[in-house]
Amino acid sequence: MKKFHVIIAMQLLLLVIQANPNTRQTINIASEPDYPPFCLVDEKGNAAGFSIELFRAAADAAGLRVNVRIGVWNQIKRDLISGRIDALPLVGRTPEREELFDFTIPYISLRGAVFVRRGTSAIHSLQDLKGREIAVMKGDNAEEFIRREGVSEKILTTNTFEEAFRELAAGRCDAVITQRVMGIRLLEAKKIKSVIPLDLQLPQFRQDFCFAVREGNRELLALLNEGLSIIIANDTYQKIRDRWFRPVIKERYALKDILIIALYILIPAAILSTVFWIAVLRREVRRRTRYLNELVAKHANTLESLRKQKLLLNEMERASKIGGWEYDAESGNTIWTEGTYDVYGVSKSGFDPLSYNRYISFYRLADQKKLDRVFRRILETGGSFNLVLRLNPPDGSGKWIRTRGQAEMINGKVKRVFGNIMDITEQIQAETELKEMKNELEGQVRERTAELRKKIGKLDRSQKAMIYMVEDLNRITGELKEERRKLNLSNRELEAFTYSVSHDLRAPLRAVDGFSRFLQEDYSGKLDGEGKRLIQTIRNSAVKMDRLITDLLELSRISRRDMHLGDVDMKEVVESVYHETANENQLKAFSISIEKMPAVKCDAQLIKQVWKNLIENALKYSSKSKTKRIEVGSRIDGGSIVFFIKDRGAGFDERYKDKLFGVFQRLHKEDEFRGTGVGLAIVQRIIHRQGGAVWAEGAINKGAAFYFTLPRKTGKLPEREDENAE
Amino acid sequence: MQNNKNEVEILLVEDNPNDIEITLRALKKNRLTNQVQVVRDGEEALDFVLAKGKFKDRPLKNPKIILLDLKLPKVSGLEVLKEIKSRPESKIIPVIVMTSSQEESDMIQSYRLGVNSYIVKPVDFDKFVDAVRALGMYWLLLNKLPGE
Repeated sequence: MKKFHVIIAMQLLLLVIQANPNTRQTINIASEPDYPPFCLVDEKGNAAGFSIELFRAAADAAGLRVNVRIGVWNQIKRDLISGRIDALPLVGRTPEREELFDFTIPYISLRGAVFVRRGTSAIHSLQDLKGREIAVMKGDNAEEFIRREGVSEKILTTNTFEEAFRELAAGRCDAVITQRVMGIRLLEAKKIKSVIPLDLQLPQFRQDFCFAVREGNRELLALLNEGLSIIIANDTYQKIRDRWFRPVIKERYALKDILIIALYILIPAAILSTVFWIAVLRREVRRRTRYLNELVAKHANTLESLRKQKLLLNEMERASKIGGWEYDAESGNTIWTEGTYDVYGVSKSGFDPLSYNRYISFYRLADQKKLDRVFRRILETGGSFNLVLRLNPPDGSGKWIRTRGQAEMINGKVKRVFGNIMDITEQIQAETELKEMKNELEGQVRERTAELRKKIGKLDRSQKAMIYMVEDLNRITGELKEERRKLNLSNRELEAFTYSVSHDLRAPLRAVDGFSRFLQEDYSGKLDGEGKRLIQTIRNSAVKMDRLITDLLELSRISRRDMHLGDVDMKEVVESVYHETANENQLKAFSISIEKMPAVKCDAQLIKQVWKNLIENALKYSSKSKTKRIEVGSRIDGGSIVFFIKDRGAGFDERYKDKLFGVFQRLHKEDEFRGTGVGLAIVQRIIHRQGGAVWAEGAINKGAAFYFTLPRKTGKLPEREDENAE
Repeated sequence: MQNNKNEVEILLVEDNPNDIEITLRALKKNRLTNQVQVVRDGEEALDFVLAKGKFKDRPLKNPKIILLDLKLPKVSGLEVLKEIKSRPESKIIPVIVMTSSQEESDMIQSYRLGVNSYIVKPVDFDKFVDAVRALGMYWLLLNKLPGE
């Protein structure tokens, strides 16, 4: 009776929390076609059976609508796993399935049985099945049982138990293991007479049947459990059970039957509900225990990982000289990480950062004020800060630190300030060094730039100077070209002039002389002495004029002639010219001394002309002197060689020595010494053209000395125009 | 010297009448005058040498020498020389340039064109006579030409 009270109380309790029918939710389930009387298909093709009816009733009690479809066990089991259906109405609870499904409380417990063909006598125990072929429905808990217990290795799996029984009846296997009640009902229904259950207990194959939902679908599981509890409590369960299992029980109710009913139904029902509640509670305890164990394990894990992270954090802080801190605005407490202790240079055991006033004194005075001001502002208004400060901590180091902080606000009030502190001494030092290096480099760059500017300036100036020079040169070159053009022009004119002189001045002279001669020849008888003298004078003048013309042309030719420089042995030249110039009498009368002279580079033809003219002069002007002596020699004077020729002849008045080299200039009368006055002009012209100088020394009747210079053996002689030349 | 009276032995090319007279007198002094033909410019000189114009009927025999002044009207002495020395029929005639010019360029040009002698006419008549004698001796008496 006590149990009844409990049941009624529970029923009332569950009714209160029954779901509102208006918000009914529809779930899909699936049923097997032939697991009588639990799951089967009625004449209309609908799913029926004890489990189906029970599930509908439980679902209804829990406020759920149910759609049932029919499928083979193995398939619908997979459908539930994959979520294509929400629940299965009949699932035996096995350890294998715990992982796949969540189970409601068991609503019926059945034992299995071994079915064999009628007349089989060799099987009396489970051990006798070893090595025999056993047929089961694929995925049924019987299969799981056989495998779990190792009943036999030979398992023939079929899609349904009907199929399994037919296999057995046909002798294609030795036994079928399944639920006794279901097996008997199935054999009856299919009228298979040749198969009977053995009277053999299988305590290991006791099946608690439950509804199953997908693993983790706790909501549906709770609803179904709830519904089950309700229908168990309000006798619906009993009615359904009576309806489906009655045919198994005998039709007539004898006292014995009643007793049996009491024994088999009422008492088991009471026991069942007790067992059910125990199971529920045990299950809940298991679940809670598991959950708590998990929690403990998780917590331990968390602690471990926290410990590891703290180690890592310490290591990182040490390596990067950084530390964390937190100031609790409410309590005024300060927490430091180990890194912060290191930055401040205090030991964790020797210093308690609790007092803000204590550690702020680590900073230099000015920085203390700054930090204090900022910190107080943060505490009042929130926000963040980022300061670079100088420490003056107990360890005496003047560390530079950077500290960043940020306020955390709750309801507009600062709850805490947290941040980090970093030793940036090395960074600052490096920055300072870099700055110094940069300054130094900049200084160098400035210096170099200034030097370069100066050089560029100089270059600019010299470039400008060069440009001016080039311009001047161009201008001068232009002028020179113009001059050369003019010179060529006048040279051509001069040539034409001298050509004309050479031809046209000579012809009349020739006529003067010629016809004078005809006069002498043809009319000598008619002319007296004076007449003959006059004619002779005419002829002499003509010849003299011819000589003048010839000499002038020679002077002109020498000026225009190309020079051909070569090594000249002067002694040899002088000797040969002397012998060509002097006649036999002169050679006898004169004594000549010619010194050995250095070789010189000059035009041999022209220099011959020089010596010829000078020697001619020496011979001519010595002709009336007692001493007929000529000396030729040379001396070296710096870069030049001075050649000279000296005689002891008539000499000249030094006062007029400048006139000596002029054209047609003579210092002697024609009847004293014959000459045209061109010889020395030619000498001067030739020497000037070869870059030398000419001069003379002398005195009347004391002889004359003529000097000329030539450069010492240079490759090329400068062409010098004679400014005095006509 | 026993030549046909019509045959010219000396062709004198000279425009200056004084020079012609002087030259002829110098030739005469050396007894070389009887077969002298005087022409007064370059054109006439070429007409004679090539037997054309007014000299187209001249005897076929070429003169033994040509005395050629360089400064001539119309065709210059150098051009006449060039013409004579470039034609096979006149090439072999000895040409003696007799000029007042002592210019080296004239001399070089003349020898390049194939002149046989180059004589600068002396102003002194006695020396002129000497020169004419020398060239007459050489070219008319000593020198042998083909066909003599």
